[in-house]
Amino acid sequence: MTLYDIIFYLFALITIGSAMLVVTTKNIVHAAFALLLTFFGVAGIYVLLAADFLAIVQIMVYVGGILVLIIFGVMLTNKITSVEIKTGTLNVLTASIVIGVFMGLVVSIMVWTGWYSMPAPIPATTAYGLGETLISDYALIFELLAMLLLIALVGAASIARREKESL
Amino acid sequence: MDVSNIIESLKLIKPEIAVSASLILVLIFDLIFHKDKKLIPYVALLGLFATGYFVIHQFGTTGFGFATKSTFKAFGMVTVDSFGTFFKLLILISAVLVLFFSSFSDEIKKTTDRLGEYYVLIFGMILGMFLMVSATDFLLIYLSMELLSLSSYVLAGFTKLRDRNSEASLKYVIYGSVSSGLMLFGISIIYGLTGSTNLYVINSLIQSPQINVLALSFALILVMAGMGFKISAAPFHFWTPDVYEGSPITITAFLSVASKAAGFGLLIRFIKTGFAAMTLNNGYWMLNPIFDWKLIIVILAILTMTLGNFSALWQNNLKRMLAYSSIAHAGYLLLGLAVFSNQGIAAILIYFFVYMLMNLGAFLIVMLIADKLGSEDVDDYDGLGYTSPFLGISLAVFLVSLTGLPPTAGFIGKLYIFSALIDAKMFVVAVIGVLNSVVSLYYYIRVLKHMYLVKPKIQPVEIIPGLSQKFLVLLLVVPVLFFGIYFSPIVELAKNCVVLLGF
Amino acid sequence: MVNYIYLTVLFPLAGFLINGIFGNRIKNEKIIGIIGSGAVGLSFLVSLFSFFQLLGMPAEERSVIVNLFSWLNIGALHINFGYLVDPLSIVMSLIVTGVGFLIHVYAIGYMHGDKGFFRFFAYLNLFIFAMMNLILGDNFVVLFLGWEGVGLCSYLLIGFWYDRKFEKGTVSQAAKKAFVVNRIGDFGFLLGMFLIFMTFDSLNFQDVFAKAASFPVSETTFSFIALFLFIGATGKSAQIPLFVWLPDAMAGPTPVSALIHAATMVTAGVYMVSRTAIIFASAPVIMTVVAVVGLLTAFFAASMGLVQNDIKKVLAYSTVSQLGYMFLAAGVGAFSASIFHVMTHAFFKALLFLGAGSVIHSMHEEQNIQHYGNLKKYMPRTYITFLLAALAISGFPGFSGFFSKDEILWNAFAKGNFVFWLIGALTAVMTAFYMFRLVSLTFFGKERFGHEHHPHESPAVMTVPLMILGVLSVIGGYIGIPAIFSGENGNKFEEFLKPVYENAERKMVTYGTHTHFEEILLMALSVAFALTAIYFAYVIYTRRQEIAEKTSAKFKGLYTVLFNKYYIDEIYEASVVKPIQTVSEKFLWKIADNKIIDGVVNGTGILIEKSSNVIRKLQTGIAQFYAVVMMVGIAVVLFWIILSL
Repeated sequence: MTLYDIIFYLFALITIGSAMLVVTTKNIVHAAFALLLTFFGVAGIYVLLAADFLAIVQIMVYVGGILVLIIFGVMLTNKITSVEIKTGTLNVLTASIVIGVFMGLVVSIMVWTGWYSMPAPIPATTAYGLGETLISDYALIFELLAMLLLIALVGAASIARREKESL
Repeated sequence: MDVSNIIESLKLIKPEIAVSASLILVLIFDLIFHKDKKLIPYVALLGLFATGYFVIHQFGTTGFGFATKSTFKAFGMVTVDSFGTFFKLLILISAVLVLFFSSFSDEIKKTTDRLGEYYVLIFGMILGMFLMVSATDFLLIYLSMELLSLSSYVLAGFTKLRDRNSEASLKYVIYGSVSSGLMLFGISIIYGLTGSTNLYVINSLIQSPQINVLALSFALILVMAGMGFKISAAPFHFWTPDVYEGSPITITAFLSVASKAAGFGLLIRFIKTGFAAMTLNNGYWMLNPIFDWKLIIVILAILTMTLGNFSALWQNNLKRMLAYSSIAHAGYLLLGLAVFSNQGIAAILIYFFVYMLMNLGAFLIVMLIADKLGSEDVDDYDGLGYTSPFLGISLAVFLVSLTGLPPTAGFIGKLYIFSALIDAKMFVVAVIGVLNSVVSLYYYIRVLKHMYLVKPKIQPVEIIPGLSQKFLVLLLVVPVLFFGIYFSPIVELAKNCVVLLGF
Repeated sequence: MVNYIYLTVLFPLAGFLINGIFGNRIKNEKIIGIIGSGAVGLSFLVSLFSFFQLLGMPAEERSVIVNLFSWLNIGALHINFGYLVDPLSIVMSLIVTGVGFLIHVYAIGYMHGDKGFFRFFAYLNLFIFAMMNLILGDNFVVLFLGWEGVGLCSYLLIGFWYDRKFEKGTVSQAAKKAFVVNRIGDFGFLLGMFLIFMTFDSLNFQDVFAKAASFPVSETTFSFIALFLFIGATGKSAQIPLFVWLPDAMAGPTPVSALIHAATMVTAGVYMVSRTAIIFASAPVIMTVVAVVGLLTAFFAASMGLVQNDIKKVLAYSTVSQLGYMFLAAGVGAFSASIFHVMTHAFFKALLFLGAGSVIHSMHEEQNIQHYGNLKKYMPRTYITFLLAALAISGFPGFSGFFSKDEILWNAFAKGNFVFWLIGALTAVMTAFYMFRLVSLTFFGKERFGHEHHPHESPAVMTVPLMILGVLSVIGGYIGIPAIFSGENGNKFEEFLKPVYENAERKMVTYGTHTHFEEILLMALSVAFALTAIYFAYVIYTRRQEIAEKTSAKFKGLYTVLFNKYYIDEIYEASVVKPIQTVSEKFLWKIADNKIIDGVVNGTGILIEKSSNVIRKLQTGIAQFYAVVMMVGIAVVLFWIILSL
């Protein structure tokens, strides 16, 4: 086991452990902070994969932007903890069995599969390459993402405006 | 990929560009003229007609667009062929009809100040669906599906006056996310196995013996689960009744036809481009023997139609009944896919064309009645056949067609599906399909029984549709009857459109 | 014009749609009537022009296929929606649209004031539409479409006055009977169609007939096909054993009886046999069956007609009997003679029914001829036209019926045997007798109706069609004068139809020649018989009523048997319906049904309901549950894949 591996497992542990906390804790503020850790973990894995630009974006956008927004939201709407959603832990047994089976499968597949692999790239800055790909090879995808975000905005606006209307 | 390549590729996606342009136009129009929203539907309609022009022009055009450096030069993310164009036309026609529905619907009329968003989101759906039916790259497949989903999540909960509405929307989001997550997981495994997201490349790579079949099957099942969600195939159909019942009826109609069509277009193209080694001379596909494709699809199909039909049996809410019936229809359509031949695909195209007419028609009538009656409950339909003969007879035609009895177009759809099955010597499956149609007869006819035979407890309301509404109903009734007798144009069109670009 | 033959189909369809959709808005009877009859009139004009155009062509080219569109293309089955215009179909379409038009016009007067006026005309137009498809279709599927269509219209129109009483039951029951009996026949026809498709791989007339003429197909196969087709024909054309529905069909309004149950629809069976002549000609055994069934039907129906007292019933039995003649002709291989009789019969039988309708109309729905008498005083036009028709059907020399009936009788002798002729001639005698019994009781003798009745002549809209049909009944036969009278030109009608039957004629064995002397002799004999019968009927029922009473008293047994239609209904009841009922009640119902089938059916029902309930319960509305089921689904599929690896 090399140092690389140790660091990878460390980040993986952080990511999975905090993600578990996000879904299990009942306190929404705790969940938000656990999410922070998850994002950090993912950013770490990105770094390990030599995706420097992605790692930075991950931290800037998710940790710096989205998570802060969530925490603001939680702090401003004190009612959010008492929202009644038809939820609860149901079908624990079935769910556990299914998830167990599913996990077993995934793990066995992970172990037994000959994955398509490339030699590890020499760590170098990826920002330039990413930028070029986005406007050449993946121009369509890039533009489509723009449309997707536009739709998301319009949709969010539409949902947000409903409060005003029901008055 | 150089600039000229991009420009060449852009020529292939003119309809999509037209849709995007219309989307933005409607949005801008909504911002500028936010006082008077009356013009927005017209702008939207104009956009659809412009799109329609490009779609019709696209018939006969074939080509690959947006090839990446890493893929073989010829194969791009977007594949334009008559098969996809057929589905685009289908989606477009239903969009135009739904636009008209919306202009009659009381539900939608009540949301005047958000009308702009409504049309923008509909265009978002159309854009997603257009790309779905021509996508041959996992990136595009996933993104276009997300585009469709995101727009429909919001639209499902668009009218906020009813509690059901937001519940529908929320449930839709949850299932949508789960299935899209599963699909993403599957895609990541396939990428891990092959190192590509392009279906053509994947097709050539998975023929090598090094590929772990178990991992590939696992990934495939997950991807197909995501698509199964869109076409509401069992066991991924559970969201359908709740969402269909809770959504505004125009959106329900659109989801049940266009969204399903897009899902089918995607699924068929996915299987054909990704996993068909070749097409035999007699029209049958040679699929990669990863697992028993036929058996899986047949079981899914039978499960889907049986669950759909049997659950529909005791539904009193017509919208919910139609939701289950649309699940059952997805089952019949899957039967057409299970043949894995050009003939089966032609049958699917025919069926979809017919299904669009009759299902939209049924939803339209239910909407018109619900607007007056304030109810979609079948018990409130007692005696309606006599007080509102026009709507009654029209609904009867649609329901008979949905059952698949002659001389309606629905019969033709089923006829071609079942004859494709018989041609492939899948007799048992055909019999199960026919038996299912018999079960469906029961709940369709039950509505007619209520309309014509049950003595109403109170004097039923007289519903006289306006002239334009009548015209719209006729626009759907007449083809259902007409194509029931003279169906060779659709059959010819469908047969010309089955050839998918690729292997 | 031939290429526009589809217009003859489209006009009635348009009429049906207009009257059917907007009829209750229009409300004005005149407009509805003009639309309804105008549509058929236009069809008639198109047929007429097509007919003349066809005449202008050389005989061997008189077969034009007008393909509208490719209809069914599934597997080996290629069906075009096409129409075949040839001498046979054009003659039939002239009859249907021509007589149909007159009856439509008549119905404007007859149905005046009926609450279902527009509905009536819509149905009538729909009927013409279906009938034209039946006649013109160039393949069995289109023919079958029309076949079922006319059946449906017949059912709708018999039950038109569904709320009225009819004899022992209700009108709806009569309609139901017609429907059920026809279904039996249709089933036979359908089997015949399947067999044809299996044998010849096609359902197109041209392909099938060409193959039937040249391909080596065993006679047994031909016999089965012909038999099934003939079963279909017996249902539609009311032959033994499926004739029981036609008398009951008289529950419908009289124009319907005239149009559907006398002039057109019931001749569909004759048309079909004639169209498939080549198949029948290849099955000599079945030909004999056709001839014998036709002969027996003609004879027994005529005998039943002798004693009926309901004016429409007499005409109904007479129709059955005349249809028997047509099958007799077809059965001996004289197909053109049978179509000739279809035509003349359409003229005089339509006239008889319309005349009867006129009488019924003026007598306020009284249909018993014993309660008529001396009506000639009140309704001279009806009387004269009715008399002409009666003379025609009785075979009075020079009238249309004379030529066609004589042609059949002669063929029965020349191509069949003497017994055929004899029974046919006896039937002719009975026909003459019961027709003049009807005429005498209705128009001559003493007035036997109460003072509450004020018979009056019907309006012109009803009598003008009567007069036109009267003229046709008289002169309609001259286009088919037998060769012995017309000299070297031969029988023009037969000449015209000849190309249609060429192949069939070739297949049939030709019998020895007969002399002109024989023909003249037999003709003279049958004419003499008919005249005598007319005379006796006139004398007995106008002047010496007591003879009739005495005779019926003397032969009370026979009389009752005849009056009760040989107890056919009762026999069917006792031999078919009752045993089935008993068996079904005693065994099937009590044991099999109650215990086994009920168990199974209810079990299935309960199972479906239960499983439906279970399935419905799956739809809990709880999000997590759905997700679990989804995952279970995926897991099951995966496991199954692993196991099958």
